[in-house]
Amino acid sequence: MTISPQRIDPALGRDPRTTRHGQKPDFLGFGLGLRAQHYADILDGDPPVDWFEIISENYMIPGGQPLRILDRIRERFPVVMHGVSLSIASTSPPDFDYLQMLKDLAQRVEPRWVSDHLCWTGVHGQNLHDLLPIPYTHEALDHVVNRVQLVQDYLGRALVLENASTYVQFRHQDMTEWEFLTELTRRSGCFLLLDVNNVYVSAFNHGFEPHEFLEGIPTDRVVQFHMAGHSHMGTHIIDTHDHPVCDDVFDLYRAALKRFGAVSTMVERDDNIPPLDELLAEVQRTREIAAEILSADDRDRAS
Amino acid sequence: MSELERLQAEFQRSILGQDSAVLEHVMDGPREQRDVLFGVYKNGYASRLTEVLRKDHEYLHAYLGDEMFDQMSKLYIAEHPSQQPNLRWFSRELPDLLRTAPPFAEYPEIADLAALERDLNDCFDAPDAPVLAAADFAGIAAERWTDLRFVPHPSARRLDLSTNAADIWLALKSDEAPPDAVRLGSACRLLIWRQDVTPRFRELTDEEAMMWDEAARGLPFGVLCSMLAVHDDPDGAAGRAAGYLQQWVTTDLLAGLS
Repeated sequence: MTISPQRIDPALGRDPRTTRHGQKPDFLGFGLGLRAQHYADILDGDPPVDWFEIISENYMIPGGQPLRILDRIRERFPVVMHGVSLSIASTSPPDFDYLQMLKDLAQRVEPRWVSDHLCWTGVHGQNLHDLLPIPYTHEALDHVVNRVQLVQDYLGRALVLENASTYVQFRHQDMTEWEFLTELTRRSGCFLLLDVNNVYVSAFNHGFEPHEFLEGIPTDRVVQFHMAGHSHMGTHIIDTHDHPVCDDVFDLYRAALKRFGAVSTMVERDDNIPPLDELLAEVQRTREIAAEILSADDRDRAS
Repeated sequence: MSELERLQAEFQRSILGQDSAVLEHVMDGPREQRDVLFGVYKNGYASRLTEVLRKDHEYLHAYLGDEMFDQMSKLYIAEHPSQQPNLRWFSRELPDLLRTAPPFAEYPEIADLAALERDLNDCFDAPDAPVLAAADFAGIAAERWTDLRFVPHPSARRLDLSTNAADIWLALKSDEAPPDAVRLGSACRLLIWRQDVTPRFRELTDEEAMMWDEAARGLPFGVLCSMLAVHDDPDGAAGRAAGYLQQWVTTDLLAGLS
């Protein structure tokens, strides 16, 4: 199916400053990425986790066990949807077949929010299945703002976009990544998923100060934190999601909590997936650190 | 063409190894050169897709071994670049490639193994449908039986193999040494479907395969019985047809009657 932008109802939020899709979601607590290896332990047990995040594409399928299990899990836990193929920054025409499948899944799952990444995944009909970087230019910003508005109109909800880990920076850029994200959320009305590990990875790879990134992001637009592990190659870091969250990233998480307050936080593991209990221990650590930081903040405010 | 379009086209070409023009537009990192940093994307592309093929074709991988499987993956990735946003569908053309591409085409059990695994993958997440139970037949008047048509479950599919790939697959799945590959004198006729949530397959006789294929095309039970009567002993045809039908019902192969 193809659809031209003219077929989008012009009344649907074309004002670039509108936030008509944008009620900021409530704080959900501390969650975990839902992975097939843990289905049985989750369904048979009572894991101490407040919510689950699903990879949207894993459930954009006709039927069978994954969807049935998802139906059962969402009866017990809040669920959010996190995609990897929206390709919001691609200069190829929007893929409305994909958007319709995403919308259909969202109608079934009723997620608290739908997120993807600030990236592109391919052009000219090809998909490279990677979160590819964009130049932080005015041209790219205009393009992504338009795409976000179109997608929000199509889905009828605000998007949540995540900062991706990147390995190269472009020579020509008009602004920093955090300035780009700030303008994007301000102009499009989208919310932000702040991947704390990705901030750490990109900061190391490009030589910027991660706390400067955090300080540059508006406090009222962040609805979720991701916590994940990476592979340190010595000269650069690769965002592999196959290790436990490292102490440096937990330290940056403390700084993020001080700036943004209580933000729904989840542990994301995509490879080398350990038993559920190991990941629940990481979730518990995010919970304990948040309790420590946020209660200290309360004391500071009270004194 | 906008600057962003040009940049994305160059970035993609460089990932695919067609040129390295994009390196002029990216910077060295503080500790590493740009070609190494760009290599994270370039290397990630092939390794990610190879991983998908390994996951979708676990026992084909076991049969071929790492080296041959990686050679096959490289060929497939080059010949069938992904055009879908969902990696779930990336490997679907693999059996077709293996039937024609040397050296794999010389060993037809390889394409057969890939085809069997593709069908098992496809029935795993095929559409859901209610299944017929024996009780659904209880109230059907005898005179209506000849006109009954059967709706297969949407997960059900037939596959004819020219080799003993099904036996090879079963041995590998059981962690046993696979039998030598052989070309069969007559096709191995498989019926593959999902029972509850589990993909299954079984081999059909020529007669049951014929009845299933014609039933799936919508021929009524009376005609199916007539076909069986031509195929083998005419006196036992109705009984054999009823036996096949009973097995289809008890193993969740039918989704409806009309």
